[in-house]
Amino acid sequence: MRSGISKIVPLEAALSAVEDGMSLTAGGFAHSHQPMAMTRALIRRGVRRLTLMGVAECWVAEFLAAAGAVEKAYFSNFMFEGFGRCRRFVEGVETGRIATEDHSHFGMICRLQAAGLGLPFMPLRAMTATDIVEVAGFEDITQKSRFIASPFGNGRVTAVSPLKPDVAIIHAARADAAGNVQLFGATSVIEEQARAASTVIVSVEEIVEADVIPRQPELTILPALLVDAVVHLPFGAHPTGVFGYYEHDAAYLGEYYAASRRQDSTDAFFRRWIHDQADHWSYLDALLVSRLLALRVDPALGTIMTGQRHV
Amino acid sequence: MSEISRDEFMAVAAAREFRDGDVAFIGTGLPMVAAYLAKATHAPRVKLVFESGIIDAAPRELASGVGDYRLAYGSPKIAGMSYALSLLQGGRIDIGFLGTAEIDRFGNLNSTVIGPYRQPRVRLPGSGGANDIASMAGRFVVICRLDRRHFVEKLSYLTTPGFLSGPRAREAAALPGSGPSRVITDLAVLGFDPETKMMRVEELYPGVTLEQVHERSGFALGVADDIAEALAPTDRQLHLLRHVIDPDGRYVVAANV
Repeated sequence: MRSGISKIVPLEAALSAVEDGMSLTAGGFAHSHQPMAMTRALIRRGVRRLTLMGVAECWVAEFLAAAGAVEKAYFSNFMFEGFGRCRRFVEGVETGRIATEDHSHFGMICRLQAAGLGLPFMPLRAMTATDIVEVAGFEDITQKSRFIASPFGNGRVTAVSPLKPDVAIIHAARADAAGNVQLFGATSVIEEQARAASTVIVSVEEIVEADVIPRQPELTILPALLVDAVVHLPFGAHPTGVFGYYEHDAAYLGEYYAASRRQDSTDAFFRRWIHDQADHWSYLDALLVSRLLALRVDPALGTIMTGQRHV
Repeated sequence: MSEISRDEFMAVAAAREFRDGDVAFIGTGLPMVAAYLAKATHAPRVKLVFESGIIDAAPRELASGVGDYRLAYGSPKIAGMSYALSLLQGGRIDIGFLGTAEIDRFGNLNSTVIGPYRQPRVRLPGSGGANDIASMAGRFVVICRLDRRHFVEKLSYLTTPGFLSGPRAREAAALPGSGPSRVITDLAVLGFDPETKMMRVEELYPGVTLEQVHERSGFALGVADDIAEALAPTDRQLHLLRHVIDPDGRYVVAANV
């Protein structure tokens, strides 16, 4: 081991950085690498009044909304590929409990980039002339974006203001004790979110020795200087997947989606899978090892092909 | 060959929108099937970019979505969403495909809310990459069922720019893309009048009448001077759709239901 202070901390200690009323952004998209173990821990703790700054972390948003923990959401798109709308989130919006501020994906990314790059605004060529920039949500519309002329006289662009989340929660493949983080496969918006956020908490499938990461440094998505805490949470993205490790758990996602039709059945689902579990390890025990092993992917393909399911 | 379904007509019509060599921005569903159909037939040099940051993948089987790990197979470059979307802004994407909850006569789309923005009657998923694709791709194609719920006189919310308020509006908004080129529906293929930028009927599927098309639109559709019957899928296209690209009928159902 190289000398240095370890950033590896227990889950609850890492999440003490997330306080009621804070703004939060989370890694992942579709059914991939969303920080679900950290999300469950926040719900178990009873976190409240969060402002989401989200792009595509649909499962995190849905779970937090279902738990009544979301007050506002700056975001670009929350939906479940293959299922449909995020029902508890949309119900929160339709009943007026969750206030929204819409963006395109690129618009949302540009606002996070403005914060991460230390710029007062970011120009882009999208969102212009649509209700995204003309209909106010909870934000003062003139503080969200402006249609401006380039100072060089070569065109006009939409300028968006920075969004700086208090905390980013991210799930990745592996990290060392110093906090260097690697992820395989598509990387969602993790780099922009981590650069923008004041505090960055990362959970990983594996903790590796310090000499592992420098062998393929190009796979490092976050160097230690951008990471505040690392938590070791194998299967920490379940029921979403992690490329090279395991597929998303389609049966579990389907079970949640059926439960999410109503708040009471959602509450029962959360009771079973979140509140009745003391911690992440008892959650994994409740899932059963056979279920988890069946999700493991072919390491060469990063996935499980039809006809090659574990039987 | 058995009877050709409306889905199959739509897939073949969508595939025809690809020009060989195009770089295409592709989402889940019918556009993914159409893209692989185009690549397997008239447009082998099409390159695909997925919103998730997967570039030009060659999956061994149809992916269930842009986040499906099966989609990564054979990809020479995997990055993140910012990378994929910034290719749009850099002018690298020739064509994109979009679905929608509502569309108006100028090809503007709504995927945000039905009803007022604050506390809407129905909250929809939101723009995602749709606004980015419509603003910045060279051209874009909309895929949407033709009925009065989708084809509306006035959108609840303008999420995604078509021709906005009409001629020259996109130029005034400095949008780099040229706007919608086609709207592929389950009854007909629609396009836009080059002068007025208003939607018009260009092709009818066999057995469909103009009256049926007008009846199912919430606004008055124009009709192209050279309106034609849509080309029927070839045996080879049907074979590829039914047995190679989407053998389980996940996105393209082979029989009308």
